[in-house]
Amino acid sequence: MSATEVLRTPHPLDFDPYKVGHGEGGGHDYVTGHGEGGPASKRVIVGYGFWLFLLSDIILFSCLFASHAVLQTATAGGPTGPQLFDPMSVALETACLLISSFLCGLSAVAAGVRNQLWTQVFLFFTGIFGLAFLLLEVRDFTSLVARGASPQVSAFWSSFFAVVGCHGCHVTVGLLWLGTMMAQVYFKGFRPNVMRRLVCFNLFWHMLDLIWVALFTIVYLIGEGR
Amino acid sequence: MTDERHMDEEGNVGDVGPGFMNATPESIRESVQGYLIGFVLAALLTVASFYVLRTGLIWAPGIVVMLAVLAVAQIGVHLVFFMHLTTAPDNTNNVLALVFGIIVVVLIIGGSIWIMGHLNERVMPMYPSM
Amino acid sequence: MFGKLTLNAIPFDQPIPLVAGAFVFLVLIAVIAWVIVRGHLPYLWHEWITSVDHKRIGVMYTLLGLVMLVRGFIDALMMRSQQALAFNAPGYLPPEHYDQVFSAHGTIMIFFAAMPLMIGLMNFAVPLQLGVRDVAFPTFNSTSFWLTATGALLVNLSLVIGEFSRAMWLPYPPLSEYRYSPDVGVDYYLWALQIAGVGTLLTGINFVTTILKIRAPGMSYLRMPVFCWTALAANLLIIAAFPVLTATLGMLLLDRYLGFHFFTNSGGGNMMMFVNLIWAWGHPEVYILVLPAFGIFSEVIATFSGKPLFGYRSMVLATMAICLISFLVWLHHFFTMGAGGNVNAVFGIATAIIAVPTGVKIFNWMFTMYGGRIRYDTPMLWALGFTVTFVIGGMTGVLLSVPPADFLVHNSMFLVAHFHNVIIAGTLFGAFAGITYWFPKAFGFRLHEGWGKAGFWLSFAGFYITFVPLYAVGLLGMTRRLQTYDVPEWRPWVLAAGVGVLVLCGALFCQVMQFIVSIRQRESLRDETGDPWNGRSLEWSTASPPPAFNYAVLPNVQGGEPYWQIKRRAIESQQLTAEPDYKPIELPRNSPTGFITAFFCTITGFALIWHIWWLVGLGLFGAYVVFVWFAWRDREEYVIPAEEVARADRARRRAREEWLAQDAAREEWLATHAHPSAQPVGQA
Repeated sequence: MSATEVLRTPHPLDFDPYKVGHGEGGGHDYVTGHGEGGPASKRVIVGYGFWLFLLSDIILFSCLFASHAVLQTATAGGPTGPQLFDPMSVALETACLLISSFLCGLSAVAAGVRNQLWTQVFLFFTGIFGLAFLLLEVRDFTSLVARGASPQVSAFWSSFFAVVGCHGCHVTVGLLWLGTMMAQVYFKGFRPNVMRRLVCFNLFWHMLDLIWVALFTIVYLIGEGR
Repeated sequence: MTDERHMDEEGNVGDVGPGFMNATPESIRESVQGYLIGFVLAALLTVASFYVLRTGLIWAPGIVVMLAVLAVAQIGVHLVFFMHLTTAPDNTNNVLALVFGIIVVVLIIGGSIWIMGHLNERVMPMYPSM
Repeated sequence: MFGKLTLNAIPFDQPIPLVAGAFVFLVLIAVIAWVIVRGHLPYLWHEWITSVDHKRIGVMYTLLGLVMLVRGFIDALMMRSQQALAFNAPGYLPPEHYDQVFSAHGTIMIFFAAMPLMIGLMNFAVPLQLGVRDVAFPTFNSTSFWLTATGALLVNLSLVIGEFSRAMWLPYPPLSEYRYSPDVGVDYYLWALQIAGVGTLLTGINFVTTILKIRAPGMSYLRMPVFCWTALAANLLIIAAFPVLTATLGMLLLDRYLGFHFFTNSGGGNMMMFVNLIWAWGHPEVYILVLPAFGIFSEVIATFSGKPLFGYRSMVLATMAICLISFLVWLHHFFTMGAGGNVNAVFGIATAIIAVPTGVKIFNWMFTMYGGRIRYDTPMLWALGFTVTFVIGGMTGVLLSVPPADFLVHNSMFLVAHFHNVIIAGTLFGAFAGITYWFPKAFGFRLHEGWGKAGFWLSFAGFYITFVPLYAVGLLGMTRRLQTYDVPEWRPWVLAAGVGVLVLCGALFCQVMQFIVSIRQRESLRDETGDPWNGRSLEWSTASPPPAFNYAVLPNVQGGEPYWQIKRRAIESQQLTAEPDYKPIELPRNSPTGFITAFFCTITGFALIWHIWWLVGLGLFGAYVVFVWFAWRDREEYVIPAEEVARADRARRRAREEWLAQDAAREEWLATHAHPSAQPVGQA
């Protein structure tokens, strides 16, 4: 009990320490996950909730991957993937997304020390590389369709466009969110709720890169490796 | 991984959320270093993945296994260096949630492939183009 | 301009849906007019529609569930009466309408009756039981509710504008593909479920975060009431399973809207993949529905037996085991698909295994009752009815887990009877037990016992009269979803089931009367102490109804069954604990975000169903703007001053002191307490 009080900086207001999502309570075990300490801080709550959302998103992708795996050979006499994939373009997309993810991490460092300029700069370039990825992907898609591989051609291409397109949709939504976050950082500054959202955005962006790793391995490389 | 308990800017101690990073002016170097290491490792693993396919060094049936290993390694790099997942006790909930998610993913993908593969083997297509 | 939507969409030539729709519409208009004329609109808007209070949202969820339950029950009545009339005759429902009725019945009962009832009770009780102020994300909670309501609205809209799906409650392709169902029915189904599914997913995230991260000080995992554990397991399943539903329905949508070939006959599509994936969601869904009910029964049985729950730890273990194993059994829904013996055997064995933890629970409940002083109030009756009925349903389930046996009764009325047996006895009885149990906590007065008991006995009897004949007729070979039939041996059983459903009508009448009579007699049914059932968990320590902040000071939990310990200490020392130091409390501000987002989602969903593309864009843009607007607000919380907290809590303490002074109450408590097996255990 006393150790807790020593560790805690006094709350600026003489408010109830147990309000929704705040405070850490009077137990003796500080690890709230183990239950003694009372409600966790809002930052932990928001981060954890978003983490759970990301896991559910990964499960959503896993269904698309499962469909892709099952429909791998269902080309219905149409073109197969390795005949039409452009490995150079995939490598470029991978690079764009990885750099974007890295820059996003740097923006988190800048935001951590409350540096408005560098936060905005890093977020901006995160978005630029994300946009480059998206444009490359759109170019890929149009070229595939032009060469007779539209999603309507066969179940294989349906599953390909669904899984890659779903990732692309996530990137698009991420870019929209990124723009909104830049505006928020600019107008609202680094207040706690903006900081929490930045943490969530970071997680989201890294998760998209993580999905892409699974995606280029399963869809492009293993498909070709076979 | 440190011995100290994490304290956030609101002065609270306890668990950490995922993606937690304690960036202060003093630790800025350390944080950037973490991202750099992650970036370099991820880049190397990516290059390796693409290279494995082109080189003749690897026994052909092993390529798929190799690719899978590289992908898992890279996902691990992302989780540790970008998403700051650790094995510290304050991260238990995050790791447990991840493990639950992975179990479900494995069950869904593995189960689907097994079930549908079995089905395709047993149920003959009505005409060859299927 | 309006896509596929024309005036022909309104079924002027079909009197049944038209009259039903017009009736519902008139009732709705009347209710809205009454609300506006009486000036209740500001109250509704400020206190309910925009509320982010978990208790209010829980009540709204439960209300939605009850209304939809009636709607689904009317569908059931139509099916039973059609089959009663349709022996060698066409009956009164033409096939295409009958197909809509059974599709709507299943969809509504699972997604818009059972789910809201369970989520509503979790919403109401879980934060109270954990001893905290609210859930992790109160505004999302409100959004979840309104998105679920959007789904329910879209499904019911299909009654009068267009038609509903004829492709069963799970729209198996290729029937649900555009080629065979080009009308909007399947689209209504798909978009309603996609929108409601997002709401459910948010609920799952919200509750797992709440239970793992927001608990009263000292409330360690093994001190949580079992209902919290089952809620945790159910919400973990929501997080893991609902994305599967979203993805699977999403693929079907791509097939229907953009000509993809996931599940089509042509283009290499594989329709069995849909069956496979939808059941990878569908089986966990069964446990999402039944696990919270198990939790409710655990609370009810412990309370009304005057004993702590027997085998608390085994209960927790069984719950978590079910949570995991429920992901290993989905193939038993399609044993007959054509997979080989190995696959069927593995899933058959896993299915048989999942009955083990469930059996553990049944024994725990029985041992809790053993040696207890059982009070047969309405919630306990529901729990007892559940125990008996659910065992029968579970046994037929184990029977069906044997693939060769399953082959014989696959898609027969036997199966229909089986799953109604587990879902009605589990989820529905659980919901009614929970509603009668927590109603006094939510509103400050009990429900009328006489009408409640009548409702229970008619439900219990009605259930058996309806579904035992269906078991029998299933074994005689009757398949499900028959619009007409010509086998004379089936006739008496079908008629008997028809009689049963009339008894269930009587049960419904009693339930409705229970609410009406209780509200009218609320003064005599008033509960002043906040603890009408001599409860054991924390929710009974606060006032009824609880103040917006739930607890003036968060309880400091020192063991399992914390409120039982607080009471014991108070009675032994003949006084309450010293008055705490009241502080101002910050609570999340109400927000219309959820309601407005759901409004735009309704528009988007409707526009997507009817292919009105400009309206789709408008709806999505609106939803985005609402979220940015929400993110932009500066004040997230409001403050309740310390004096107000003190005033509310002192009133509660006065009531408790009066209770303490009553000899009778004390003696009753001591009598229960004196029983050797009544000592609280599980001092984890």
